[in-house]
Order: sequence, then C-alpha cells, then structure tokens
Amino acid sequence: MGDYVWFHDVSWHATYAIYFFVIGICAGLSFLSYGSWRTEALRPLREKAAYGSFALLVVGGLLLIGDLSQPLRFLNILNPAYLNFTSPLAWGALNIVAFGIASVLYLAALKQGSQARGKVLATVTALLALGLPIYTGYDLTVHQSRPVWNTPVMPVLFVALAIASGSAVGAILAGANESAQRLLREYLLWSTAAVGVILVSILGTTNYGGAAQELTFMILTTGTMGLIFVGIGIVVGTAAPIALLLAPFGRQQVGVVVAGVLVLAGGAALRYALLMGPQQLQTLY
Amino acid sequence: MSDELRVSPIETREVPGKRRFAMVVDTRRCIGCMACQVACKAEYDTPLGVNRTWVPYKVVGKYPNVKKQFLPRLCNHCDDPPCVRNCPVGATYKHEDGGFVLQRYERCIGCRSCMAACPYNARFMLPSHRTYTPITNVVDKCTFCFHRVTQNLVPACVQTCIGRSRVFGDLNDPTSEVSYLVAKNATQVLRPEEGTKPHVFYIGADRNQTEFGRDAYRKPDVMELQRDAFKRHFNI
Repeated sequence: MGDYVWFHDVSWHATYAIYFFVIGICAGLSFLSYGSWRTEALRPLREKAAYGSFALLVVGGLLLIGDLSQPLRFLNILNPAYLNFTSPLAWGALNIVAFGIASVLYLAALKQGSQARGKVLATVTALLALGLPIYTGYDLTVHQSRPVWNTPVMPVLFVALAIASGSAVGAILAGANESAQRLLREYLLWSTAAVGVILVSILGTTNYGGAAQELTFMILTTGTMGLIFVGIGIVVGTAAPIALLLAPFGRQQVGVVVAGVLVLAGGAALRYALLMGPQQLQTLY
Repeated sequence: MSDELRVSPIETREVPGKRRFAMVVDTRRCIGCMACQVACKAEYDTPLGVNRTWVPYKVVGKYPNVKKQFLPRLCNHCDDPPCVRNCPVGATYKHEDGGFVLQRYERCIGCRSCMAACPYNARFMLPSHRTYTPITNVVDKCTFCFHRVTQNLVPACVQTCIGRSRVFGDLNDPTSEVSYLVAKNATQVLRPEEGTKPHVFYIGADRNQTEFGRDAYRKPDVMELQRDAFKRHFNI
C-alpha cells in the first residue's frame, strides 16, 4: 500500500513469438523436403515443402527486420566490423543468410531437375535449417537471469516444436496421399510427445526453483497466460493431438490433419507463452 | 585475491593503471526527494516514461511504526555485463578505463537483446520522437555520466544528492571514498546470483525491495492502463 513501483517494458513483443512460429515451420518443412530424398513416401512433398520453407523464410525475415526499432540498420548485423560473436543473434543472422542462399540454390536445382545437386543441396539446407530452431532457443537460453528461458533444453524444445509444426503443415500439404500421411502421423506423434516431455521437465524444475522461478511458474500457469500456455499450448496443442493420433480416428487421413491443426495452434501458443510469460516477472523489478 | 576472483578478461577489478568507477548508495541517507531522478532527466533530456535512474519505494513496517524504504536504481555498470555479451553488433561496450558500460547509438539496431539480458531492467527504448534530442529508436541507459566524469566531475545524480546518499569514485583507488565505504560497511549488490559483479553497492538496502516479491505476480491493473497509454502515445 502506498508503494511506488516503476514499470519496465518487456524487451521482446509478440512479433518475436510469431517469428519463432514461422521460422519453426520453415525449418520443419525444410526437414521434410530433405526427407523426400531419403524416403519415397515423402516424395510428393519435396517441391511444396521447399517452396513453402523459402516463402516462410521471407516472411520470418521481414518480421525480424520489422521488429527492430531501427529496421534499416539490419545490415549492421552482417557487417564483419561490427559482428559480436558472443551474441547468439549474430550467429542467428549468419545462419538465416546461409540458409536463404542454400534454399535459393536448392530451389534452382529442383527447377532444373538436377538430382545429384538437389540431393546435396537438400542436405545442406536441412542442416542449416536445424540451426534455425537451435539458435532461436539459444537466443533465450543465454538470458540466465530469466527463469524458464534459462533452461538449457530450450534449443531442444524448439527443434522438437519445429519438427512438430513442420509435420503438421506437411500433413495439410500432403492432402489425400496415404503413404505420406502415415509417415507424417509418426513424425507428429513422436515430436509432439517430445515437446510434452520437455515441457513437463521445464515446468517441474521451474516450480522447484527460487522465488523468481516460482513466480514465473505462477504467471505461466494462471490467468490469461495460463489459458494460453496450459490450455491451448499443453492441453489442446500437445496432449489432445497425442490422444487423437493414438485413437483409431487418428490413423485416418482426416484425423492426422485435425491433429496437425491442433499441433499448429499449440505450437503458436507455446512459443507466445514461453516468450512473454518469463518477461512479465521483471517488468516490476 | 583479485586475480582469483577475476573471471572474465574484461573485468577491471584491481587491474594496475585502470580505474574502476563505482557508486555507493547509502539507503539510510536517502530521503526520497527524487532530485537525482530530476537531475538525470535534465542532464540527458530523458523522455517521459523512461528513466536512467529511478527511485522506487516501499512502505515497510506495521502501523504506527512504518517508514518508506527507498532503493535508488540505475545501470549497475557490471564488471561482467551480460548486455555487452548479448549485443550482436557491438553497440554496447565496456570502456577499458573506468569500467563504464556505454552505448554506441549510431550502431544500435534496436533488437532489444541487451534489454532482455539486463537483470536490473536498467535499459530502455527511446521513443520515436523527442523534443530536443535527435537520438531516437535506440536503446539507452545510464552512462555513469561518462562525459562529466572524464572532466573530473561527479555524475549529475551524485552532484545533486542532498542527503549525500550517493557517493561516486574509483574503486581501484584505495584512498577513494567509495573504497572506504565498501571496506568499512556491510554492502550489498542487486541480484548477486547473476554473477554480473555490479558496480553499484548499497548500504542498508531492504530485502523487501532487493528481492522479487509477490507484487511481481499481482500486477496492479490501473498502472497497466497508464503504461499502455504511454506506449501508444510514443509508438513503442
């Protein structure tokens, strides 16, 4: 009572969460396009996934640049004289540019129908795509003063989310292709299960932490943020699709697509809550 | 001793020939006049709604024995600053002589990574328009009044502090007042568990303010409205 509190703005707003979502799907689709060279069942997705991945990279890049308060200075991050390699953002920028170049070359190889070059470039693109969710997770992990962000499994969680989101979009793109849907169901099931396991471990350790951790746990599990994180992220977007995919309905094509839509909704909610929830605590410190 | 405690090569603790500026805030002497806040605003034309230094307070105790406990806050000019590590373009850097953590405004891209990294919320985004100063849309923070200190003046907040609550000086100089205060008093720094090695030392700070409290969870909604209005006005 009578206290004077000074508010601080959160550092990263919702645009960054949308970027996480978009770039996760981008990486996931790149994995699928690479997978089409290894598994015949994914062959119908090769071009669709590659073009979709590149389109989302453009959207993600624009979101990232637009989120800067000095958008025209985004080139500073590629200036060798300025680059600070202790920052994960610097590595992320290099990764995005390298992925973009590899994607363009890969799309050109697909257009020319060059099998040998396509296979090599698909591998390179997929490896660089793996760096995208890893760097976004690492981007949060390095902030050791923020509970939940500072858990070392964050990059692993973002990789699992990228596979789940990419498989979900792949399931929608696959349409009525039965063999692709069957494989994507497996991908969806295992990646979503991995997301669930990691979330349980994060929540468990957060609740056993110090005051900051416990307060962050409360922010994430109650009120509006609780509805987004637990309600949409965990129940609707993680537990429900797993249950659905294990049920007989989930073995049908419609069931896989429905599970994919739920995973996408959950993936968006989880990324938003994981980004915004842990920032709320410090706004009053 | 110092060599054992020094972890990062950029740390300035007892490095020969290098100064290590620090501030001691004696909260027992702070009367909450907010003159430091005003002096800082005047020195830098800091816009409405953001501050380089601020003085939050809590009312502690039980009626009739109650008192206001002040905790002046500012950038801690950490010896091992996470904001410097996190800046992707080197816009935030540590000045070798003095340990000032400073900002290159012309290089800042506004990614707010430094804001996320700072455990003390000492950094803020400047609004898109200002009345007298052309520096906009970049991250700003306290500079320990670098421009004044390099001319042998103390920071504006220290100059104006009527209760002499804020004391500034070179911690590497054993004869300085800050060295004496840190050596002779029980001091504390904010959030020592973060390993940032802050250069702002508090005497008599209250745990109600230095630690996370339940208020962080129960946010007063009325203030949220004010903050939203501010953000809309300044397009933040």
